[in-house]
Amino acid sequence: MSAKTLRHLIVIGLLVLWELLPRTGVIPELFLPSLSSTLLAGWNEAAEYGHALAVTLYEVAVSMAFACGGGILLGAIVGSLPRPRLLIMPMVSSLYAVPLVILYPVFTVWLGIGSESKIAFASIYGFLPTMLATAAGIQTIDPQLLLAARSMGATLSQRLVRVIIPAAIPTVLSGLRIGGALVIVGVVVSEMLISSAGIGYLISRYRTILDSPHVFAGVLLVLFMAIAFNTAIRWVERKAAIWQTGTRAGQGADEVGSGAMQPAT
Amino acid sequence: MQATLTIKLARVAIVIAIFALWEMLSRTGVVNPRLLPSASDTLATLGDLLQRSSVRTDLLVTATEVLAAFALAVPMGALIGFLIAENRYFADVAKPLLFFAFSIPKSIFLPMFILVFGVGFAQKVGFGFFSTIFIVIMSTTTAVESVKVEHLTVARSYGATRAQTAFRVYLPSMLPVLLEALRISMIFNLTGVILAEMYASRDGIGHQIATWGENFQMKQLLAGVVMVAAIAMTFNELIRWVETRCSHWRT
Amino acid sequence: MQPLANVTPLKPPPRAGAIEVRNVGQVFRTRSQDVVALEDVSLDIKPGRFVVLVGPSGCGKSTLLMMMAGLRAQTAGTITINGAPIPQPDPDRVGVVFQEASLFPWLTAEDNVEFPLALRGVAKPERRAKAQDALKLVGLEGFGKRHPHELSGGMKQRVSIARGLVQDPPVLLMDEPFAALDEQTRMTMGDELLRIWAATGKTVVFVTHSLTEAVYLADEVIVMSPRPGRIVDQLQVSLPRPRTYEMLSGDAFGALRDRIWRHIRKSA
Repeated sequence: MSAKTLRHLIVIGLLVLWELLPRTGVIPELFLPSLSSTLLAGWNEAAEYGHALAVTLYEVAVSMAFACGGGILLGAIVGSLPRPRLLIMPMVSSLYAVPLVILYPVFTVWLGIGSESKIAFASIYGFLPTMLATAAGIQTIDPQLLLAARSMGATLSQRLVRVIIPAAIPTVLSGLRIGGALVIVGVVVSEMLISSAGIGYLISRYRTILDSPHVFAGVLLVLFMAIAFNTAIRWVERKAAIWQTGTRAGQGADEVGSGAMQPAT
Repeated sequence: MQATLTIKLARVAIVIAIFALWEMLSRTGVVNPRLLPSASDTLATLGDLLQRSSVRTDLLVTATEVLAAFALAVPMGALIGFLIAENRYFADVAKPLLFFAFSIPKSIFLPMFILVFGVGFAQKVGFGFFSTIFIVIMSTTTAVESVKVEHLTVARSYGATRAQTAFRVYLPSMLPVLLEALRISMIFNLTGVILAEMYASRDGIGHQIATWGENFQMKQLLAGVVMVAAIAMTFNELIRWVETRCSHWRT
Repeated sequence: MQPLANVTPLKPPPRAGAIEVRNVGQVFRTRSQDVVALEDVSLDIKPGRFVVLVGPSGCGKSTLLMMMAGLRAQTAGTITINGAPIPQPDPDRVGVVFQEASLFPWLTAEDNVEFPLALRGVAKPERRAKAQDALKLVGLEGFGKRHPHELSGGMKQRVSIARGLVQDPPVLLMDEPFAALDEQTRMTMGDELLRIWAATGKTVVFVTHSLTEAVYLADEVIVMSPRPGRIVDQLQVSLPRPRTYEMLSGDAFGALRDRIWRHIRKSA
């Protein structure tokens, strides 16, 4: 049997087990509601979930603009200037070790429990990896390319537009993918902790009344959101794969640790 | 050498500048000191907190949970990762699934852990374990794959036994990657446990921080944030230091 | 692609393209000490000549080339091209060919060749026409739509040469352009370069590590020594053109190569 077939069988098997185990009572419905009851719960409350999704999406969009815009801008600056890079990069990656979720209570005190505190938290949550990835990407641009452009009389702005930006695109995209995933996590987690709207809020509210199917429906919705985002960026990345060769392979990105930039919890 | 000293001094200066700015903003009343207590007040509060037995108990609880989750996730993840890397077919089957599991946000499953384990030690350790194991599996797989085929061929051509290959080729080749994996796993693990404590718990430092936040106790809240940040960064730098000590293995 | 080494021994009349290097020095200041990379280097290169710079690593041959390209400022002396100094890159006077890595991987071959024209805002049709001519000259007609990763090492260097020639500068500077190629490709590319040179009459300054390549290509070989970089010998290569593979095993060729090798062994 080919690996792919077996993999598909495993996935189908898991879905079937998800339906059967709770139905037959092997696993209590409280722990794991069956697939069908989860989907049904989501369907019955579609309006409520739709409304919550709109709130969450709005927060995600604004945070993403802050996190990715700021991360790419600052990463480009830090990455292209050697002195600030030496100075700041180790500090930034050290900061990366801090569980940033402890900042969320601070934001709720400052900004209240509405969208603002979620946006502030998620922006910071997604900012660091985007910045680190962009800085690494700018740093790995082959200096020969810049030298060649200069020998042809390229001005500073021409070098930026025609060499630095196209050469940095693949790394920026992977920064976007990771930063964006973290923004989604940041928004949903902060909604789960303290809030009054959004999918995370719905999940937590149904959790307190032990309504498992509705909790799961919310979890599934967030999962789809994360997967859709990931798939979309990967698609763009593949389209731009030709750029990949513009940087010296792997260097620099290594420094940040590829694992460290994956979505944390 | 001189340059690195300058850079180190500059870093210290940046940290001091941030604290000074914080102090000034609050003292001069540019920001409401009730929303942002001054740096000195916060640090004084931090000193107080560390004297309190309840806070120490919370720290101890968190440390126990973190260690328990870590002690479970690392060996188990390493074993699974090793098995996947060593068997081609198994790797082909499992890898895309793992990549997928790795890339989805783990925190949204936190409510499940409460539904299953209730609120308590098991739920927090369970969630810490769940947040950590995927990264351990992935890193171990990467570590095994980082062993150079040429080195294995050389070892085999000189008649190395299985044990000799394991200890003289695999382990030294994998060590740098494993140390890095350990560091990153710890970041994931700590985040997982603290989040679980903040979400629903009766004790632990994450729970304390959440409570201070709900009660608008800004001094305690900021002191808690500084404390957790300092602990996390110290631990991170410690492993990094070990990594650089072992760096002659790299290349 | 036709490797026509034996085309037109009659060069078109040499045009502008004289290079004068007068008492040039270069000192790198590092935190701990000053490193003299070049000391009192003087050279006179006549228009249309093929001059090769050789020497061990660190002799400053690439540095000298970068200064001729206006990519780096000397700390002493003067360099003129066509009688005027070159304080910054001037693609009208000088084209530069680097090692393999310098093609933009996100552009097609013809877009790479057009790049210097695009920088100066030349209109698209004119750009395209000139790029096609340059690609034809280097024997890459029909390969314009490919990206660098779809081209072999030798073909990439042909594109680089086309890019260096597209603005028709009188001087072509080449910094170890064939260093990354395998031996066979390298020989073919050498013949190709000589053909292009013969067809265009450019002044070529070529940096290499390979003694054989140096003697095979050059009218004149400049031998440099390291720490501090200076010129230790200038050899006129009077082997007839077109150069052929058989010359490599001849006595005259061997004598020239031995003379260079003795200088390099002494300084290494």
